[in-house]
Amino acid sequence: MTRRIVITGIGTANPLGMTVEGSWEALLAGKSGIRPIFIFDASAFPTTFASQVADFDLAEYVRDPDEFARAGRNVRFAMAAGRQAMENAGLFGRTDVDTDRFGIYLGSGEGVLDFPTLVHSIAVSLTDSGTIDTVRFAEAGLQRYDAFSELEQEPNMPANHLAHEYGLRGPAYSCLTACAASTQALGEAMDLIRTGRADLMLSGGTHSMIHPLGVTGFNLLTAISTEPKDEPWRASRPFDRDRGGFVLGEGSTIMVLEELEHARARGATIWAELVGFGTSADAYRMTDIHPEGRGPAAAMQMALDDAGVAPADIDYISAHGTGTQENDKVETLAIKLVFGDEAPKTPVSSVKSALGHLIAAAGATELMTCVLAIRDQRLPPTLNLDTPDPDCDLDYVPHTARQVKVEVCLSNSFGFGGQNDCLVVRRFVP
Amino acid sequence: MDRRIVITGIGLVSPAGDAAGLADAVRTGRSTVGPIRQFDASAFPSGIGGEVPGDFDPSEGVRREQRRYIKKNTKVMARDIQMGLAAANRALLDSGLPLGDDSQPPLPTIDHARFGMVFGTSFIPTTLDDLAGPVRASQTDGEVDLKDWGTKGIPQMFPLWLLKHLPNMHACHTGVLWDAQGPSNSLTCSDAGGLVALDEAVRIMARGTADLMLAGGAESRVSPLLLMRYALLNRLATGADDPVTASRPFDRDRLGWVAAEGAATVMLEGRDAAEARGARIWAEVLGTGVATMTAGINTCDADGRGVALAVGRALDDAGVEPGGLSAVYAHGPALEKQDRGEAAGLEAALGDAARTIPVTATKGVTGHMGAASGLADLAAACQMARDGRVPPILNCTTPDPEVRLNLVVGEPREMQGDLILVTANAIGGQTAAAVIRVNR
Repeated sequence: MTRRIVITGIGTANPLGMTVEGSWEALLAGKSGIRPIFIFDASAFPTTFASQVADFDLAEYVRDPDEFARAGRNVRFAMAAGRQAMENAGLFGRTDVDTDRFGIYLGSGEGVLDFPTLVHSIAVSLTDSGTIDTVRFAEAGLQRYDAFSELEQEPNMPANHLAHEYGLRGPAYSCLTACAASTQALGEAMDLIRTGRADLMLSGGTHSMIHPLGVTGFNLLTAISTEPKDEPWRASRPFDRDRGGFVLGEGSTIMVLEELEHARARGATIWAELVGFGTSADAYRMTDIHPEGRGPAAAMQMALDDAGVAPADIDYISAHGTGTQENDKVETLAIKLVFGDEAPKTPVSSVKSALGHLIAAAGATELMTCVLAIRDQRLPPTLNLDTPDPDCDLDYVPHTARQVKVEVCLSNSFGFGGQNDCLVVRRFVP
Repeated sequence: MDRRIVITGIGLVSPAGDAAGLADAVRTGRSTVGPIRQFDASAFPSGIGGEVPGDFDPSEGVRREQRRYIKKNTKVMARDIQMGLAAANRALLDSGLPLGDDSQPPLPTIDHARFGMVFGTSFIPTTLDDLAGPVRASQTDGEVDLKDWGTKGIPQMFPLWLLKHLPNMHACHTGVLWDAQGPSNSLTCSDAGGLVALDEAVRIMARGTADLMLAGGAESRVSPLLLMRYALLNRLATGADDPVTASRPFDRDRLGWVAAEGAATVMLEGRDAAEARGARIWAEVLGTGVATMTAGINTCDADGRGVALAVGRALDDAGVEPGGLSAVYAHGPALEKQDRGEAAGLEAALGDAARTIPVTATKGVTGHMGAASGLADLAAACQMARDGRVPPILNCTTPDPEVRLNLVVGEPREMQGDLILVTANAIGGQTAAAVIRVNR
């Protein structure tokens, strides 16, 4: 018998708010999370803005905040989102759940690199020939580096902290397939429940690359938007002709996925049913997407097939929609490939226009908006879509939220390096 | 559907060389640990390592245009990525699948949409020399102001610096090279990465999404930044008189890890398809299990419960009773808490059989290859089984009395049967196990 997977809890820490409802209202109202960078002094970087999570008190979300003294933003966000998801699912504090069958699958990025110590240790180790004297580097680094800050950089730390916080002993995974990571995590988590390896999974993503080397790295690739510095909320313009790259965001969204009978037996409230997962690789080039959208199309088709739905059944596509010239053009092409005549009739929007790109946390956050769209029959808009691009000619729900019938949604995530992952989520019908 | 999954190719890049090299070092008890040569590590508390010999070539044996791709892109591949790609190539070559001639797409006999991969990888620390120029240009008296970094440092950086270090690039390059358009994942589960990757790859095949999968693990811990990190966390072996005796899994006088590096990859196929093409079969993957520790991020479950759960799941998945096992290739990182926790977990999962099944570990030979270690052990196990032997744990001369397992010490044991359990555990995190039936 097929095991059905439902979403019974959602939590989020994102630039538009620290709650599911608050950030959803802000999205529907067309608010943007993009501001000048306040986490570090980026005033002389090519990009000076990002979409950042406001300061919050971790003590509201964890048993012992001291355990998180050296934790990175990724871990802090995951603990906040994880706690909300547990409470929302009615699982927080419950002792009658079999924690051996409760797993974790996160798409998660690194902790914050200790930039000052790294560059200091290098600065005092420079040789005349332009290399590093590793003896001096070791001496300087051993003085300044902090052991636990270093440990917290490892990308499985959010999963490890969650396992410890909630005593979850089910199958535990952490993946980092760039921008596709949390969609891939949710899809594989769904498979772990389907195949009977778990009944419950805490799954989603968490990431912050808003640190000096993260912004440096993306600026070097010219992947992120640099203008307009004085009105940064206009910088993320998916599907607009004048788009100039994505805007870095950060945050976490974590969900409780649960096997339907398990959820029923404990009387859980069901948000929606996760019904389809598709995953593929471009196998084309390191950064460029296959120009015909081969990989994204294959992943979308696989997700629809897995869900047993046709393009005409899809009421809304939450696009990957990064706002780079290439992605938005190729994603449009791939949607047309899969949806054919249905493509122009299917609304597509990119919440990255408001939230920025949460990288490993993007997919889970976008899936959350799909779930809410189904609940409220409202689609979040694509902000800043002022000038149509002839290559991007679908219905992108520009500027303002829209009231429509929404029963089934497709959520797309395509990663740097060619991983393509898609999920289909549907209103739960017993 | 063909749900029986076999290993038809093994590819290794290890401190002892390729797959045969590793098997030979394990067989003869030859340590590959020595003073680190890639950089001057003399000022680190532990300056020894298990280094991959400098002559490994990721483009060895592949087709001409593939060699061109690799040569062109080597500068955007950190060492982890180069090793991962090389190990993947070696597994593919070992599988005997026709590569096709230069006029054809690679692997002309397969369905590329149903060929995928899962790698266990790690967040790769920056190559230090890449930051030398930018830091020189932006520093004042040994400190770097972020304004100066923005205006003077960033313009000096290698433009593709970020891509050189991303943990999904092993899979990206391997996929491009072999036109693998199926699922592609990169699991950052530290020491458990390789076996967790095997677990996921097998599950992806079982659900019918792919016919062919590579499962791999790759990591270099021989880098200044990781030697720093793990030294500060007191995980590294110090105080050995001779580097070759430094790595002592399950020994009472253990000293900690020896940082090592490597990559291990296996090619997975459905058994019927493999037999139909006459492939040489190394082993069948009978079952896998993944769990996690919950004791905290820098420690392990003293009672070994996380380990026991992973092992129990793998045995259940395989439909194998503990008493049916012929050997255990344990993780054995040579840290007191972790060795003892793992032993307790094995005891709990194996019950009475824990006293009789021979338990070995290879880290005495290689040091700790990080995310590559679990699949490197599996590769060694497949080869050693052909000798009919379970090799001894190198440098385990006085077994820890707290470890109540049948450790193989001194001389190899005859191996009865063909079922082998392999385990790998991340400190404070994921635990993984696999049960294979080796083809002797």
